[in-house]
Amino acid sequence: MHHVSDVALGGATRFQDGRLTLNVEELRRIFDDPALASVAISVVHPGESARIVKVLDAVEPRAKPRDADGIFPGFVSPADSHSGSDTHVLRGAAVVTAGYLPRAQEALADMSGPAAALCFLASTHNVVVEFVPASGADWADVAAALRVGALRLANALATAAVETAADEVEDLTAPASPPAEAAGDRSLPRIGAITNLQTQGAFKDVYVRGRSLAGSPPLAVDAGEIEDGIVVSGQYGHPALKNPTFLHQNNPIVAALRARDGVDLRFAGLVLSPEPVEQAAKETTARQAAELCRDLGWDAAIVTKEGGGNADSDVSLKMDALEAAGVTAVGLFAEMAGADGSGPPVVAPPERATAMVSTGNYDQRLQLPAVDRALGGSRFDLLDTDASAAMEVPTAVVYAALSPLGWGRLTASADG
Amino acid sequence: MRVVHYINQFFAGVGGEDSAAVRPERRDGATGPGRRLDALLGEEHSVVATVFCGDDVAASDPDAIEQILQLIASTGADMVLAGPAFGSGRYGIACARVASAAHAAGLLALAAMAPENPGVGEAAAVPVIESGDTARQMGPSLERLATAARELAAGKPAASLDGLIATTRRVNRFSDHTSAARAVDLVLARLAGDRAATEIPLPDFGHVVPAGPIDDPATALIALVSEGAVVPAGNPDRLESARAHKWLRYPLQGRDSMAAGEYQSVHGGFSTVAANADPNRILPLDAARELERAGRIGKVYDEYLVTAGNGTAVGDAARFGAEWAAELKRAGVRAAILTST
Repeated sequence: MHHVSDVALGGATRFQDGRLTLNVEELRRIFDDPALASVAISVVHPGESARIVKVLDAVEPRAKPRDADGIFPGFVSPADSHSGSDTHVLRGAAVVTAGYLPRAQEALADMSGPAAALCFLASTHNVVVEFVPASGADWADVAAALRVGALRLANALATAAVETAADEVEDLTAPASPPAEAAGDRSLPRIGAITNLQTQGAFKDVYVRGRSLAGSPPLAVDAGEIEDGIVVSGQYGHPALKNPTFLHQNNPIVAALRARDGVDLRFAGLVLSPEPVEQAAKETTARQAAELCRDLGWDAAIVTKEGGGNADSDVSLKMDALEAAGVTAVGLFAEMAGADGSGPPVVAPPERATAMVSTGNYDQRLQLPAVDRALGGSRFDLLDTDASAAMEVPTAVVYAALSPLGWGRLTASADG
Repeated sequence: MRVVHYINQFFAGVGGEDSAAVRPERRDGATGPGRRLDALLGEEHSVVATVFCGDDVAASDPDAIEQILQLIASTGADMVLAGPAFGSGRYGIACARVASAAHAAGLLALAAMAPENPGVGEAAAVPVIESGDTARQMGPSLERLATAARELAAGKPAASLDGLIATTRRVNRFSDHTSAARAVDLVLARLAGDRAATEIPLPDFGHVVPAGPIDDPATALIALVSEGAVVPAGNPDRLESARAHKWLRYPLQGRDSMAAGEYQSVHGGFSTVAANADPNRILPLDAARELERAGRIGKVYDEYLVTAGNGTAVGDAARFGAEWAAELKRAGVRAAILTST
C-alpha cells in the first residue's frame, strides 16, 4: 500500500514520497484506439470546489511487481491469469472516466460541499479522463476503449510505485475453509458475501475476467482475486446505485467480514452472481446461489445488488432461497420512499428473510452549491443546467451515494 | 360548527361505477353515512350540507375540486370532513384534494381513508384519519372520524388527533458505521435468534381486487397505456427517463401505427434501440388497430397514457394508477392494456 498525498500534472510519470506526477502526453497514448478521437487527462483533489459530471467508472490504481502479472485479468492481463504475487495499491487516488455514453444516466461527484460525504471520490485525488469519440464510432466500441484504457492507466500509475517502499502492508485473510464434518470449529458462524452483478446488456453489464457474467450460474471465487480486479464495471445506469470497479476492488462487505474474522465470525468467502432480466432466471439463479452457499458450509450470507427496483428482487429472492436452504440471510437495499420519504421503501421485499440494511432513500433531495469548475461535460442534462451551477438533485444522481456494496454510512430511518 | 361532508356518488346514493362521471353537487343536510356522522358529532356540531362528486371526475378533472370548493363555501361551513374512502384509490385521492383545498381556503378539514390508500400521500397539510379497508368497517371508521373532528374543533393540534394516520417519513441520516459493518451486525443478530431485527420495516402495499373480465370485447372501448416511456420524438414534454413524477397523454386518433422516427422511448431502464426501431412493440397500436378492423374489439381509445416505470417511487406509481383509472373510466373505457417493460 502506497499512500498518495498529492497528484500533479507534468514531468515524468513517477511516484515519490507520496506524490504522484503524471506525464500526460505519454499517458494519453494508453487511450490510442480507433473508437476515440482524443482524450484529456486532468486532476481534481479532495476539498476542491469542483464537480465531476457524467461519471462512468472509477478504478483504484493497482499493479504487480512483474508487468501485468494477473492484474485486471481479461483486460490488462490474460483472462485466465492468476497471481500469487504482491499487489501494489495507490491508496488515495482513482482513475475516473467521465462523459456522455448512451444509456448512461448522469452521475455527479462533488469534491466538496454537502454531497462530498456521499461519494468515495471526494476523498481521493482523481485522475479524470474525458474523451471525444471518433466520428462514426460504435458507442459500444467507445465504451470498451475507455474501459480498457482506464484499467491500463490505473495499472500504469501504480506501476510507478512498484519499486518504492510500501507505506503499509496488508495481509489479506483467506476465507476460512469449510469445517471438517466432525472436528470443525463451529464456535464462530461462517459468513460469506454474495455480490450480485448487474447483467442487463450493453452499457449495463459487469465483467468477470473480461466477460459479462450474464447467463452464468453463481460462482464461488477467491476473494483475493477481486483485489486484483477480476470484477470490472461496465454498468452506467443508476448513478447512486452503481458498484464502480473501485468498490469491487475494495469490496466493503468482504472487508467488513475480514475485519471481524476470528473475532465474532469466520469469513466464509465470496460468491458472484448475475442479475438476470427474466423472472424465471432470477428464481433459478437465487436457488443455485442458495444451494452453492449451503454446500460451501456457510451459516449466513450478506447479499448485495446493483441497480434499482428490478435488482431488489434478485436480492429478495436470494434471501428467501438462502433461508429456505438453512442459510441465514441479510440484504442491503436502497429505499425508494419518494421525495418526502412517505412511500413504501422497497419495491420487491423478501417474504421470509426480512433482515434488511438501508443504504438511504434515493428520492430525498439535496441542495448542491455552485462550484468553480466542472469536469466530464459542461452541462448537466437531467436538469438542463450548467454543470457547475447550484442545483437541487435527488440523492439518486450522486455517484455511488447509496452504495449497494455498503461503502457508505448513509441510511434512512423513520423520523420522530 | 357548521360541517360539510364530502362523499362520492356511491355513498350519496346516486349510483355505482356507472355514475362515477357525475359532476359535483350539493344537498342540504346529511346524506347516507353523513347521518350517522352527524349524530356522532354531537350537539355542538352539525352536518349542514353534503357535497358529492363522481370519483372519476373528482380524481381526474382539475376544475372539479374548484367547483367542489365553491359548493362548500356557499354553505358558510367552518369544517369539511371527507370520506371515509376506505381502500378506494380514486375516492381517497378526491377526499385528500377536497380536504386540502378546504384547508388552503382557511377551513378546518379532515379526510378519512385506509392507511395504504394513495390519497394519503396527496393530503399535504391535512390530517388523514384511519378508516378500515372496506365499507364493512363503516361504523368504527365514522366513529374515529367524528372523534377526530370534535378534537380538531376543540383546538387540539392536528398532529395529536386520535386515529391520525402517522405518515412515517423515512429520512436520510449518517450512521456511525458503514452499511457493510451494519450488515455484519444484523446478520449476527439474526443468527443469535433475533428474527425481528431489520433497518427497513416490510412495506404494506395494500390490496387491489382485480376487475372481472369484460363481457363483450367486440363492443368495448379499449385503451393502450404504458410505463415504457413512449413519447413523440424529441420528448417535447420532457418525460423523465427515471424517477418519473408525472404521466402524459398523447392522441392516437387517425394513427394506424406508432411510426419509427415519430415516436421514441425515453425509458432509462433498458436499451431503447429495439423500441425505437419499432415503437409498436412498446405501445402495440398496430396490433390493436388490426383487432379493431377485424371487429374483435370495439374501438381503440383516442389517447394513450404513458409514464416511465424506472425507479418510480411506489407512492407516485399508486397515484398514477388511480388517476389513470379515473381518467379512463370517465371516458367510458372498459379495459386497458398496460404494457410493462
